[in-house]
Amino acid sequence: MTKPTASEADEKPGQPAQQAGTAWSRLRRRTSGALALGLALGAVGIGYAALSPTGRANAGAPSADVLAGQQLYQTACITCHGRNLQGVPGRGPSLLGTGEAAVYFQVTTGRMPATMQGAQSAEKPPRYTEEQVRQLAAYVQALSPGPQVPGGNLRNDAGMAKGGELFRLNCAQCHNFAGKGGALSSGKHAPGLENATDEVIYAAMLTGPENMPVFGDNQISPEEKRAIISYLQTLKTSKDPGGHGLGRLGPVPEGIVIWVVGVGLVVFAAMWIGAKS
Amino acid sequence: MTGEPQPTLAAADLASKSDAELTRLGATLDGVTILHRELRYEPGSKADKRAERLVAGCFLLTFVSTVAFIVIYGWFPWKFSLTDERYYLYTPLLGVTMALALLGVGAGIVFWGKLLIPHETAVQERHDGYSDEIDRQTVAATLRDGLDMTGVARRSLLKRSLGLGAGALGVLAIVPLGGLVKKPKGELLHTQWADGVRLVRLDNTPLRPEDLRPGGMETVFPGVPGGTRSADGPVMLIRLYPDVQRIPRTGQADYNWGDYLAFSKICTHVGCPTSLYEQETNKILCPCHQSQFDATQDAKPIFGPATRALPMLPITVDADGYFVARSDFREPIGPAYWERGNYD
Repeated sequence: MTKPTASEADEKPGQPAQQAGTAWSRLRRRTSGALALGLALGAVGIGYAALSPTGRANAGAPSADVLAGQQLYQTACITCHGRNLQGVPGRGPSLLGTGEAAVYFQVTTGRMPATMQGAQSAEKPPRYTEEQVRQLAAYVQALSPGPQVPGGNLRNDAGMAKGGELFRLNCAQCHNFAGKGGALSSGKHAPGLENATDEVIYAAMLTGPENMPVFGDNQISPEEKRAIISYLQTLKTSKDPGGHGLGRLGPVPEGIVIWVVGVGLVVFAAMWIGAKS
Repeated sequence: MTGEPQPTLAAADLASKSDAELTRLGATLDGVTILHRELRYEPGSKADKRAERLVAGCFLLTFVSTVAFIVIYGWFPWKFSLTDERYYLYTPLLGVTMALALLGVGAGIVFWGKLLIPHETAVQERHDGYSDEIDRQTVAATLRDGLDMTGVARRSLLKRSLGLGAGALGVLAIVPLGGLVKKPKGELLHTQWADGVRLVRLDNTPLRPEDLRPGGMETVFPGVPGGTRSADGPVMLIRLYPDVQRIPRTGQADYNWGDYLAFSKICTHVGCPTSLYEQETNKILCPCHQSQFDATQDAKPIFGPATRALPMLPITVDADGYFVARSDFREPIGPAYWERGNYD
């Protein structure tokens, strides 16, 4: 799956080991072979320790973010998601492998921490600041690496038309052709995307929150994801060709307006002309 | 019906009368009395001129609006554009100009009638209740007499031959519809899916098993020319989570490839695209009539009006590592029809 961030941590301890090796080779000429062998064994040992599974190496020196995230996790999340992200049956799902992206999506949109069990946790003002979300995400990522939302620009304006095609094929069936959301089964619903930021949309596609299917990078490439975001965000701000979108909900509100408002006006106009006679 | 004496007038008298007088005379003959007829404004007065200008203005409004409509229709930027947002005014402007054009004609005629045509009060004598007994008897007798004169009661040959001819004419109206009745042959039974046909995306790229994450869903099409445009080809490729227990339908136990299942996207109720996939509950929803299918039971219907499972496409992976179909669907896709047959 996604590469753990620990690969960077691998390289840093590796470099001083190499430099140490050259220094020791100079020394070796002046020392006995036995000492050289001992030092070589030691160097291999250090190298092995550096290359061994890095979760352990990180756990040895967790960053300040991870520690702060752990505090937050143990306050707000541990009841339902368990001590080691494994989840608690009947309360909350396992978070293993969900990664930073899932934490970012769930916490910044206020869905987590949830206030109660229900068909679906509701979107609400977030409880935690961006900083705290980052810490919480770092903690979850450190315990069990998973997908991450890339930084930088998440738009691909050049691919907007392609993004529109992908949106209509993959997203519109649940989120409505204009991103207004819609009903699912048993009281669940696909949320409207009015307030969704670039990062939130990207994280949702990457992780498949709740009942949304997962759209991994092999299925919809990062460039295509950016194109979808460009299309959707442009769609949200662009004007309605009819003059008024009527909630962009399609033929039902349009029919109601025509039959109630339009025909009503015509009836009143006819009555007014009659009354003036 | 009035018992008034009829005025008798010589042809010369009639010729000497004006149209207004003749109108009044005609009305009197029909039992209508014109009590008074008066103009709202003195002809040629200031108010009369103003009213005339008002009506003319309305008709002019129609002309100007119609020209504006044609100009907007032909030359206003209507295409969606990221830089020029005027496109959103296109439809409203057409609506406003057309409304003004119609309003101008209507209002002009109403003002003309109300302001310039003389106001008139007329009274017509009407009787209360039933017609007189003699009128009722004679009308009924006239109808009976007319029927009797046709001889339809006596001439049974004519009655029967007319029935035969008219009946045949009725059949003539129905017979051409017979050309529209067609017994379905292969086109409803088969799709473009066949052994070795690749599952491709909308842009014709094939899929590998590692392309979908667990809980993922992708719409795929038969990888043949025109496959992405075929109406019966769309298929939902779903990857279940590894711990999900699948209960296959009879005879399609080996239709899956690992965690991957492929179902026709066309609802078995009335053919909507059933592409709302809930990855936690493994339900497939149809947005049109809220049918629900359980992916873990090979898309068996569990709620709503659909009564048949979504047809499942048997899939495997070819030598190059891409998903391919192993055969066509074993049953017709989409809504049922008489010759469809039953499948478990």
